[in-house]
Formats: sequence, C-alpha cells, structure tokens
Amino acid sequence: MTTPVSLSPVSQSPVSDAPVLNPADFAPITQRADVQAISRPSQSYWQDAWVRLKKNRRAIVSLWLIVGLLAFAMLGPWLWQIDPARQDIDQISQAPGAERSATVVAPYEFRGGQAQAGFESGTGLRLGAEANSQAVRLLWDAVPGAGGYRLYRNIFPVDDARAFGLPIAEFPNPQAGYYEDRLDLRPDTYFYSLVTLNDQGALTDDYQTLEVPVHRVITVDEVRERNLVAAEETLAVGDEVFLALHPLGTDYLGRDMLARLMAGARVSLFIGIVAPFLFVLLGVTYGATAGFLGGRVDQLMMRLADFVVALPFLLFMILFQVVFGIGPGESGIVPLLVALVVLSWPSTARLVRGQILQIRQEAYISASRLLGAKSSYLVWRHMIPNTMGVILVTLTFAVPSAIFTEAFLSFIGMGVAPPTASWGSMSNEGLATMLTHPHELIFPALFISITVLAFNLLGDGLRDALDARMRSFE
Amino acid sequence: MWQYTLKRLIQGIITVWFIATATFLAMHNVPGDPLSAERGTSEAIRANLAARYGLDKPLTEQYVIYLGNFIKGDFGISFTQQNRQVNDIIREHFPVSATLGVLAVIFAALGGVLWGALTALYRNRLPDTIIMFLVILGISVPSFVFAALGQLTLVNLNALFGISLLPVAGWGTVSHMLLPALVLGMGTMAYLTRLMRSSMLEIIHSDYIRTAKAKGLPAARIFTRHQLRNAILPVITVLGPAIAAITTGGFVVELVFAIPGLGRYFVQAVQQLDYTVIMGTTVFYGAFLVFMVIVVDLLYGWIDPRVRLQ
Amino acid sequence: MNPPLLEVSNLQVEFDTYGGTVKAVRGVDFNVEAGRTLAIVGESGCGKSVTVQALMGLIPMPPGRIMGGSAKLRGIDILGRKTIEGREVRGAEIGMIFQDPMSSLNPTMTIGDQIAEPLQVHRGYSHRQAMARAIELLELVRIPEAARRAAQYPFEFSGGMLQRAMIAMAISCKPTLLIADEPTTALDVTIQAQILDLLKDLQAETGMAIILITHDLGVVARMADAVAVMYAGKVVESGSVDDVFYRSSHPYTLGLKQAMPTNQRDAVQKLMPIEGSPPDLFAPPVGCGYCPRCPHAMSVCATQPPTPIPVADAHYARCWLHHAQAPHSVPGLYYGGGHD
Repeated sequence: MTTPVSLSPVSQSPVSDAPVLNPADFAPITQRADVQAISRPSQSYWQDAWVRLKKNRRAIVSLWLIVGLLAFAMLGPWLWQIDPARQDIDQISQAPGAERSATVVAPYEFRGGQAQAGFESGTGLRLGAEANSQAVRLLWDAVPGAGGYRLYRNIFPVDDARAFGLPIAEFPNPQAGYYEDRLDLRPDTYFYSLVTLNDQGALTDDYQTLEVPVHRVITVDEVRERNLVAAEETLAVGDEVFLALHPLGTDYLGRDMLARLMAGARVSLFIGIVAPFLFVLLGVTYGATAGFLGGRVDQLMMRLADFVVALPFLLFMILFQVVFGIGPGESGIVPLLVALVVLSWPSTARLVRGQILQIRQEAYISASRLLGAKSSYLVWRHMIPNTMGVILVTLTFAVPSAIFTEAFLSFIGMGVAPPTASWGSMSNEGLATMLTHPHELIFPALFISITVLAFNLLGDGLRDALDARMRSFE
Repeated sequence: MWQYTLKRLIQGIITVWFIATATFLAMHNVPGDPLSAERGTSEAIRANLAARYGLDKPLTEQYVIYLGNFIKGDFGISFTQQNRQVNDIIREHFPVSATLGVLAVIFAALGGVLWGALTALYRNRLPDTIIMFLVILGISVPSFVFAALGQLTLVNLNALFGISLLPVAGWGTVSHMLLPALVLGMGTMAYLTRLMRSSMLEIIHSDYIRTAKAKGLPAARIFTRHQLRNAILPVITVLGPAIAAITTGGFVVELVFAIPGLGRYFVQAVQQLDYTVIMGTTVFYGAFLVFMVIVVDLLYGWIDPRVRLQ
Repeated sequence: MNPPLLEVSNLQVEFDTYGGTVKAVRGVDFNVEAGRTLAIVGESGCGKSVTVQALMGLIPMPPGRIMGGSAKLRGIDILGRKTIEGREVRGAEIGMIFQDPMSSLNPTMTIGDQIAEPLQVHRGYSHRQAMARAIELLELVRIPEAARRAAQYPFEFSGGMLQRAMIAMAISCKPTLLIADEPTTALDVTIQAQILDLLKDLQAETGMAIILITHDLGVVARMADAVAVMYAGKVVESGSVDDVFYRSSHPYTLGLKQAMPTNQRDAVQKLMPIEGSPPDLFAPPVGCGYCPRCPHAMSVCATQPPTPIPVADAHYARCWLHHAQAPHSVPGLYYGGGHD
C-alpha cells in the first residue's frame, strides 16, 4: 500500500545523529517508581484557597485594612480616651492641625470709650485696645453731617458689591462712639465696617472699614476649669497655653472628630458585620431546610422568600424604623439590626437552597446514602462544607451593603439617633457645613468608602480563591 | 410569550397585594395611637380620617376598607396637611422623581455598557486599569458623598468661571437635571461596568467566539456582531434591581439638591409621621418597582431568542 | 510525488498558568496531502487540540506562546499570518469544526446568518446572496427544510443538526483543508456515523484535505488515510492507517490497541488498560515521555529523548526499541523489514 500522507521528521537521519550509546543503556528497567504516584503534593480545598488568596495582593491588603479598622474601633478608644460626646466650646468646627495656642489674659472688664495705652491716637474707625477673642474694642470719630452709624462685621473684605456682612450694632447719635464686640469671636481676621446713616436713619454711601486680626486669649479661670495645664503650675497674664488637642479637628458642636470616628466605627462596623452574620445564618438555615426537605414544603418556603425579596428594600427599612419607633435615650441600633435581618435573609436562603438542591443530585450523596449515612450526617459532612465557600463569599459582600444601608438611613435621619455617632450620621451632620468645614464630611465619608472598598476587594479575592466556577476574569 | 406575560402580570399583582398587606400590618403596629392629639392632627382631619378608614372598627374590617380603597386607586388623604389627597401628592411629585430616575438609568446603562466593553477590549492595559479603579471607587463611595462632592465641585466651578455653568440646586430645566442624574446613576453605572466587563471577558473565552475567529471574521465584526449583543444580556437582567436601587437612591439626591421629588416628600412624611402618605407612597413605589421588573424581564425575553421563542 | 498540502515541523507551544509553564506541544511534525485525511490520535491533554489551534491562530496569547517551528500551507508558513496569496487563512483556506456544537454557535444569531457570515466577509457576497448560498449549504449537509431551518436559532437544533450546520459553515468558502477537532465526541453513536459519512462524502465532492482529531480508534479506522499518534506533546508514531494499526511500532500504540474493545467473535484477549497517567508537562521528562508507563522501558529511555526512527517507508516511531543496539524482542511490536 502506498502512503499518501507521510511523516517527515526534522532530523531526517536520526540514527546517525543519535548520541553514542552503550549496551548497558538498553538493559530493561527493573526497578521502577510507582506509576500511580501523583507527582505533586495534594492540598485540601481550604489550603489551596488560602494559597491562592495569599497571591492576590489586593485581597491581602484589604484584609489588613479590615484588621486595622477593627483595631481602630476596638482598641482606638483605649488609646485616645476623649469622650466623643464632650463639647469643646473653644474649638468649634476646627480643621485638623489648626493653631491651638492661646495667651492668658485678665478677665474681661468693660472699658467704655477708654482707649488702652498705646491706642490713644488715631482717627476714623480704629481699635481702642488690642483685639483678641475676648473682645474687639472699636472707637470712631464723628463724621460731619451724619445722623447715626451702623456697624457691620464680615469675614471677607468689603468689595464693590458692599457686602458688609453681619450688622452688629446701630448708633442713633452722630457723635464719636465706641463699641465692644464680644460676639462669638474666633482667631481669624474680621472686617468691621462703619456705615454712616443720614438723618432719617437710612444708609448712606459713606462707610469706613477696618481689618482686625484677632488672636486667641484665655483667662486663668478658664485654663483651670478645662485642665489645660497641670494644677501645680502657676499662670500669669501673658503666658501661653495650648488648648486641647484634636488631631482630626472638631465638628460643629466642638466634639472631637477622632473620638467620634472611633465611636462611629463601633456602631457602623457592628451593624455592618453583625447584621450580615445574622441574616446569612438565618438564610443558610432556611435555605438548607427548604433545599433538604424539598417538595411542597420547599415550594411554600421559597414562595415566602420571593415575597420578602419583592418588598422595596430601603422603603421597608424606613418603614420598620418608623414602626419600631426610637424612644428617648435609645441609639436605634437594635431596630436597624432587626430590620436588616428581616429584610435581607432571602437572597442567601435562595442561594443556599440552590446549592443544596444541586449537591443532592451529585453521585457522591447517593453513594453516601447507600452506605447508610443519616440525613444529619449528609447535611453536616457533605452539604454544609460544600456550600461554605459560597456562604463565605456572600457574607463578605453582605458587609459593604449593610454598611451602605446604615449610612444611607443615618444620612436621611432614619438610622441611629443622635447623639450616637455612626459614620452615616456624621456624614449627615457634616453635609450642613460642607462648604466652610469640609473635613466634617470628608472624614466619615472616607471611612465608609475605605471599609466598603476593603470588604469588596476581599470578597473578590475570596470568590476567586474559593471557587473557580465563580471566578471573575480579573 | 403572551402566556408568560400574563403569568408575570398575575404574579406581580399578588406581589403588590403582599406589599400592601405588609405595609398595612407594619403601620398598624406603630406604637401609640396615630390619631391621638399629641400628633397634632386637627379635629377636622381626625374626624375625616376616622370616617374614611373606619378607625373605630376591628382590624380586619379596616383592612378590607384599606384594600378596597387601593383597588379604586385611592391612597387616602394626608394626616398633616388638611384636605390634601395622597393621590395629588404622588401626581405632583412622582413625575419629578421619575424624570430624574429615567435619566439616571439611561446614563447608568449606557455608561456601564460602554465602559465595560472598553475595559474588556483593553484588558489589563492602561484604560482598563484607570476605568476599573474609578469603578471600584464608584462602588465604594456612598451616593450622598457623590452628591455632596458634585455640588461642591459645581459651586467651585461656577465661582471659577464667574458664571453659573449649571444650577447648584433646585428643579425645572434640563440643566437642573444633569448633575443630580449623573450623581444618582454613578453607583449603578460602576456596578454595570463591572458586570459588563466580566460578561465580555467570559464571552471572549466562549466556544462561539473561537468559532467566529476560526471563520476568519475581522475583530471589529466579532466585537459588534457576536460579543456585544451576548454580553449585554446579563446587564439587562439586572436592570430591574438597578432601577429599584436608583429610585430609592433618589431620596438622598433629592434631599441634597433640593429637588421636589416624591423621595424627598417621603422622607419628610416619615419625619412628620404622616401615616397615609407613608403607606400610600410605599405601596405606590412597591407597585412601580414590581411593574418595572416585569417590564425589564419582558424586554429581556424580547431580546434573547432563547426566551422569546419558548 | 507532489509536495504535501500542509507541512508542520517542530511546532512548539507553551502556556503560562497559575502553576507554572506548561509545555503542551514539544516539537510536532506531520504532513497532510491534498484531498486525504490525517487522523491525530491521543488521549486527553496530549496536545492534539493545541496543535491544530496553533495552526489556526486560535491560541490565546497570552497565556499561550508559539515557541518555534513552522506550518507551511502550499509552501507558505501560516504561523502568525492572517492571509496567504491574498486569501484569508482562517475560514477561507482552512475551515474548522469543533467538539461541542451546542456551545460553538452564537446563541443569539440565526443559523443562516452564521453560515452566511464568512461568505459576506471573505467573498464579498451581499446579505441576500449569502443567505441563498447558506440555504444551499444546509441542503448540502442534508438538513431537511433548509430554508426554514436557516431562520432558526441554535437552541432549536439538535446536536447532530448543529454539527451539520457547523460543517456547512466551515466549508462555505471551499477551504482546501478542514480541521475537525473531535467532531463526534459530544454526539450519539448513531449520529456520529452520519456525521463521519457526511464528512467523507463532502471530501469526495470537494477534494479538500481533512485533519481529524480524535481519541477514538474506531473513527480513525473508518476515516483516515494516515495517522499520527501523539503522546505528551510529541508525535510518537506516524504512518499510513494500515501501518499504524497492523504494524504498530510504538509501545504506546500497542497499549492503545489493547485498551480498545473489539467486536471480533474470536477475541479472547482481556481489555488491558495502560497503567499510570501521562507525565506532568509542567516539568516534561528528560527522556521518553512514555517511559514511566512503558512495560518495555530501558535505561536509555529515562535519560535520552528518542528521535523518530523509520521502520518502513513513511512509517516512523519515536522509540529506542528500534535502535540498532536494542534487543528487538518485544512481542507484538513491528520492527520493520530490516530487523526481522
């Protein structure tokens, strides 16, 4: 027979090219390794998953971030023992790293039009004494033809549009006058404007403006009261003291941001971790029961789950908050937790039921049954371990959504009740002062984002490591 | 297909009934008497309500009256605003929320498909890395932060250019809608981008794409004719839940941007414990969402021949 | 003798995976004559599918890599090229059908559209012309009511019907070579025979060559003119179908034959499985890949890779047993005329 198709090897004359061999090379091999042996060591499912997870750098970084956040919530308040509810009225809406020094001065006393030494001379609108956060003392000379004056204060320079700012006082007499401003003064630069009024008391175009830098002062009594220096230390007027330290600044009530973020972390992480844990547990039990029993019971149980899924989630979360009603002095954490569990379990139940139904079909379950395994053994030995991966991934992804839900509800004022801090409620409070003090919104928002990010990335990593079938193509 | 549509509609009606019942039971477990004087309802409203809802009658009878009213499409009258129909409130405020929601959904769906397809095409290269970084950000940042940051940016931009590029808050013109819709759709867009990307990548590895390559088709044709159409299918299946997420997410955006939508009204009603408005709005939103999910499912069936022809 | 239609020499393909680099194809040579059928036989993972996917440029890169070798179609190397002599290699010069027709067709596109596609792209047919031709092609692969069927989607077809549609699609542009990668593995036995007959008839009609990948020796006997037996990424024996079947020269081929059930009445021999499993291609063996499982292995087999040794005209075996110094005493192994 002719061979229409031929193999043409690369080396056309292989025998001559072959290495020099001796007869011993052609002795049959008698000693041989077990051909059935598997050449690489075998690893259990979890060992293999752990190896793969460790290779995923993003997941490992996220894992450490989560450990760090938990430490921040648990250990933080031990290291930073500031009461998150304490109000520091000297430092309200203070940005992080703001100047904290204050000069000790004598208690305030009324001076009237009396100028301080060194401030006697001068014309027009001028300072009558050194300006500090205790008082800004202003003096002015009479303006010819004036019917009276109105004094304004602003934190911006007066521009062409003549935005004078806050009107703080009005003077009906045209003589030279004085004013002592003690209204909520902060270490900042203020712009005072004295606008001349006409005889009818209406504003005229004539005004004078004065730029006043104000520095912070404090009295000895105040220093003692706030424990800013050790009790045995002596204080004299002119000494410099430092106000309480707030590393991340303060909020609109002068509460320490760092302490509040720690307290908020406890609440947010508690809800974010405990609620998913509870509803996943409930879902697993429910789904496993339905899947294992099968038949009519399964149908009935899943119909209920379908209905709960159909409820508009956030609307019913809000509704539940209304139903539970947060009484005075309650934090509102428990109602939030209950509502989350009641509304969130069905998705896990569906997933686990599907898995159980699938596993029930597997040949190894039949084999185990034939060998006389009891139902409880099948559930605990085969079904639960085989769904563990899916459950773990579900749990990881449930955490960020629970944290989001808490933040959302607290943000619209339906979550935890004040003064309990949570990252969501802090964001809500920060929104009001967003334009002037953005740090009050940015810090809690950052913490929410980082937590959600870390759990999402860890969830991705776990999913990839645990189950090749669920692996996303990253 | 018709049979399927009918079946879905019947299921939907049962679901709405369940939502209505759950709402009714929930509201009747509110501690305290909703009509007590300390709630501040006026005498006239109280008498009106008692007559209307048969509040002196047993619970089952109230339930029947309540369901009967819903079937007639009557959601009742407000507790706190005298003679104001809940129907009027919905009619007045829902179109605003719906417009915002539709814009946001369109924005999220188009963006998600576009970005998702792009990242899959440039897999593991710079555009993919950048977009996926933004996506992870979009998934991890809460909507109210987007809303606040969006507003802050706009304030600064307006100040920088010295003119009002876009209004910072309020409602009325298209320019009012753009930023809120963008902010509202952001989270969903990030989610859809991720879904589209993994769907695209899964399809790139599928047997029929290998077949298309073996047929010698140009890459562009494989992309448009074979990949895109199949990759969009899973995106469509999650549009129902996405619409739900966007609708309720609208509460926050409406609050931040001072938009007179139903969401903002709902939050107000909850704070004022205006029970009829809460019940009416919940059932209305619930029915709307159930209906939207059915529409999306039918749309999916129409696009996927495997569902359409079976 | 005419030069062969396709000459593959020293083809090497690697894949990067989680566990390391897999040397899936480690120097494969074979030729295909015009109008004839070459069967590539081997067990799962031996590199037979990777070999033909490399020819078609279907290896995903990365993680895949073609490390060397050439594949010449009518004398022109097609590795890494899209067109030769102005014709597209894929779809026009070489058609290909796959193992699982269910997943190999686009689920959301009609069968007709999918068959028409290569005609529109490679031949510049209008949609209407291409659809008309697609219906003709469906008739050619013996699908009844072709016009109605062309408007249907893959899920409305049975497995056998889908494989026919795949064949119609692969031959739409009259390729000179058809690669069939386990075309019948996913189908019922009765359908298998129909598909194989169809392929044979089409070959007779069009004169195309066929590369048939299979692990079923029955299919080989029925279809092939020539056979290449692959093991662990190498061709271990090649020759005409009679040579390889009746004058098997490699212990692996012998083992395969003994592991195959026959329906001969006088067969008294028990089925003999080949003990062990193929080598780990993450770390390919130094010597012969079959050495650990070979009942006749010699010391040299573990240390030196065997080169192809001719046992007859156009019949080669990659085995040290054919070396001049080897004892030539294995029962059942064909040693060629020179050594009997």
